[in-house]
Amino acid sequence: MVRLGFQEDGVNRKLGWCATSWLALLCTTGCGSEAVGGPTTVTVSGSVLGKEGEILRRQLERFDREHPEIRVEMRPTPDAADLRHQLYVQWLNARASDPDILQVDAIWTPEFAAAGWILPLDRYAPDTAAFFPVTIQANRWQGELFALPWFVDVGMLYWRTDLFDRAPRTWEELDRDARRAIAGGTPRYGLVLQGARYEGLITVFLEYLGGFGGHILEGGRVTVHHAPGVRALTTMRNQFRDGIVPARALTWHEEEPRFAFQNGEAAFMRNWPYAVSQMQDGARSRVAGKFAVAPMPAAPGGRPTAAFGGAQLAINGFSPEADAAWLVIDYLTRPEQMLERAKLVGQFPTRTAVFDDPALAEALAIPPAQARAIVEAAVPRPVTPVYTQLSEILQIQLHRALSRQAEPEAALAAAAREMQALLDRVGLGRRQVAGR
Amino acid sequence: MPAAKPRGAEQREARLAYGMIAPAVATILLIALFPLSWTVWESLHLHDLRMPWLGQPFIGLENYLEVLGDGRFWGAMAHTLWFAAASVSLELVLGCVLALAMNRTFRGRALVRASILIPWAIPTVVGALVWRFMFEGLEGWLTDDLRAWVPVILADTWKETPFVALLLLAGLQGIDPSLYEAARIDGASPWRQFRYVTLPLLVPAILVALIFRTMNAFRVFDLIYVLTSGGPGTATEPISLYTFNSLMHNLRFGYGSALSVLVFLVTFALALGYIRLLGRGLTETRQ
Repeated sequence: MVRLGFQEDGVNRKLGWCATSWLALLCTTGCGSEAVGGPTTVTVSGSVLGKEGEILRRQLERFDREHPEIRVEMRPTPDAADLRHQLYVQWLNARASDPDILQVDAIWTPEFAAAGWILPLDRYAPDTAAFFPVTIQANRWQGELFALPWFVDVGMLYWRTDLFDRAPRTWEELDRDARRAIAGGTPRYGLVLQGARYEGLITVFLEYLGGFGGHILEGGRVTVHHAPGVRALTTMRNQFRDGIVPARALTWHEEEPRFAFQNGEAAFMRNWPYAVSQMQDGARSRVAGKFAVAPMPAAPGGRPTAAFGGAQLAINGFSPEADAAWLVIDYLTRPEQMLERAKLVGQFPTRTAVFDDPALAEALAIPPAQARAIVEAAVPRPVTPVYTQLSEILQIQLHRALSRQAEPEAALAAAAREMQALLDRVGLGRRQVAGR
Repeated sequence: MPAAKPRGAEQREARLAYGMIAPAVATILLIALFPLSWTVWESLHLHDLRMPWLGQPFIGLENYLEVLGDGRFWGAMAHTLWFAAASVSLELVLGCVLALAMNRTFRGRALVRASILIPWAIPTVVGALVWRFMFEGLEGWLTDDLRAWVPVILADTWKETPFVALLLLAGLQGIDPSLYEAARIDGASPWRQFRYVTLPLLVPAILVALIFRTMNAFRVFDLIYVLTSGGPGTATEPISLYTFNSLMHNLRFGYGSALSVLVFLVTFALALGYIRLLGRGLTETRQ
C-alpha cells in the first residue's frame, strides 16, 4: 500500500502544469464554440467585482440594446493581476477561443502580441490620436497596435489636509513632514506604500527613480544601477530604516496601505486613483474630506514621476468573432463610457478630449488639469515580451535591499547584470526594445 | 485437487486476464507516463512562449546546464531541504509525544483524538492565511530573511503533526501489552520501556510517517505561496515555487520542465531510498 502511495506521489508531482494545460486543451477542443443561428456571442473577461463589475454590466446592456445581433457575456477573472495573467496564459496557450475580449495590463501587451495570442487592431483603424501618446506607445509591439487603452492608472501621493498645509515636493520635505506627524504617535505611519515583492513594487520604485532622474533602461541598455538608481533605492531604504515607512509594508499590496490611510493611521500614501472614491465615503472612511492627492515628490535633477498602469482591451487571437469583439471594444472606449467610469469608480479616461469635458471636474477627486498633467508625465515600463522576467529580477533585488539582505549598490548591480544578460540572450538588447 | 485445465482454456483465461487489466494499465500510462515523458521531452527543447519566433528547437541538455549554473535554483534547493529537515523533525518529535499521550486511557479520550485532527482538516491555504494574518501584525517577522522561516515552519508543524501523531498512534496500538508487563516484572523504568520496547516496535510506523512527510515537505508549495510568497527577496523560496514561477510567470516552458524533471528525480531518489530503508526496517523488526 505504501509502495502504491509512492508511485502516485512521484507521478503526480511534476505533472501539475502539464495535466492542467492538457485538460484545458481537451476542454477547448471539446467545448469550443459551434456555429449556431441567432445572435453572435462575444465574451468579455476582466474585473467584475463591486462597482467595476456593476458599471461594466450596465455598459454592456446598453451595447446589447444598440446591437441586438450581438450578445455579450461577462467572464469573471481574478482581480489580482498575477493570477489573471496566469489564467490568461493557461487559456491562450491552450488556444482557447473564449473569452473573445481580454482586459490586459499594459506590460502584458508585448508578451501576448509576440506570442500571437492577441490580434493587431490597426485593421480597424482606431483613432489613436485621440488617446494620450503614452497609453498608445505602451500597447504597440513592432509598430502595430495590439490593445486599446481603456482607463489609466497613475501612481499618486495621497496626503492629509488636516495635518499639512501643502503637499511635499521633495523627498526631504516628505521625510521631515512625516517625522513631525508621527512624533506624537498618531498617525502611526509616516508613509505607506506597496512594498511586497510583486509588480507594484516596481511601479513605486519607478516613481522614486524618475524623481532622481534615473531610468531602468536607456536605449536598450540597463542603467538602473547608475547613480540616480542607487540614490533612489537608498532613499527608499532609509525611509524603512527610520520608521517613516513601516517594515510590514514589505508585505503590502494595494489594499493594506489603503486600509491604513483610510483609518487615519498614515500621514502619506502612495497609491492608484481607485482609492479616492473609496476613501471619500464618510461612513467607512475616517479621512473623508481630509485628504488630497499630488504628484510624487522629486529630488533636484529629477522630476515628479508617475508609473503608468491601467487596463487595455485586446482581442483574443483565436477568437472566431473578432469583428464583433471590436465593436464591443469600440463601444467601451467611447468618451461617454469613460466619463461614466470616472464618475463611478474614479478611473482616469485615456482620451485627452474627455479631460476638457466640464463633467469630468465633478467626477474626479482632483482638478482634471492636475490629473491630466500627471498622466502626461507618466512613465511607461519597458516594452518587451520578457518584461515579466526583467521585472522579477528587479523585484527580488529591490526587496533584498529593502529587507536589508543586501546593500543598494550591490543589489542594483546584481539586478542590472542579470537583466542585461537576459536582454542580450533573447536578442532584444539594443535593437528591439522600445521605451526607456 | 481440481483437474488440470486443458492448455487452450489456460491461454484463454490469460488473455481474458490481460484484457481485464488493460484498461487500468492504459489509464496509468495515459495519466502518469504520458505527461511525464512529455515533460522530459519538453525539457530538452528551447520552448519560450514569449518568443514564438524562436520556434521549439531541440537543444539537448542545455536547459539542464543552465539550471546547474543558476544560483536561484541552488538557493531554492537548499531552502527546500532545510524546510523539510526542520519541519519533519519537529513533527516527528511532537507527533510521538502526542501519540504517547493519546495512547493512555483517560476521560474524553475519543474527543481529544478527534479534535487533534482539526488543524489537519483545515485546507492549507486557509491555515496559511491565518498564520500570515497573525505574523503580519508582528513587526519584522515576515520581512526578515531568517525570522520569516519561523511562521513557515510553525505553520507546517501545526498542520502536519496530527497526521504524524495518528500514524504513530496506530503503530502504538499494535504493540502487544504483554511486552510491557514482562518489562515491568523485570524492573525496567518507564524510560527503558520506551527505549527498548516502544521505540523499536514503532520503527515501521515512524518510517511510514517519515516517508510521507518528507515527500510532502519536499513539494511544499501552497503554504509558502500564501504565507511569504518566497520572500523577503527569495529567502524562503522552495524549489516548487521557483518551478511554478519559471513556467507560469516567465513562460519558460523548456527551462521550467527541466526544473520539474530535476525535482522529480530528487523526490524519486528519496522515495527509493526510503523504500529500501522501510523494507529493511520491516524485516529487522520481524526477526
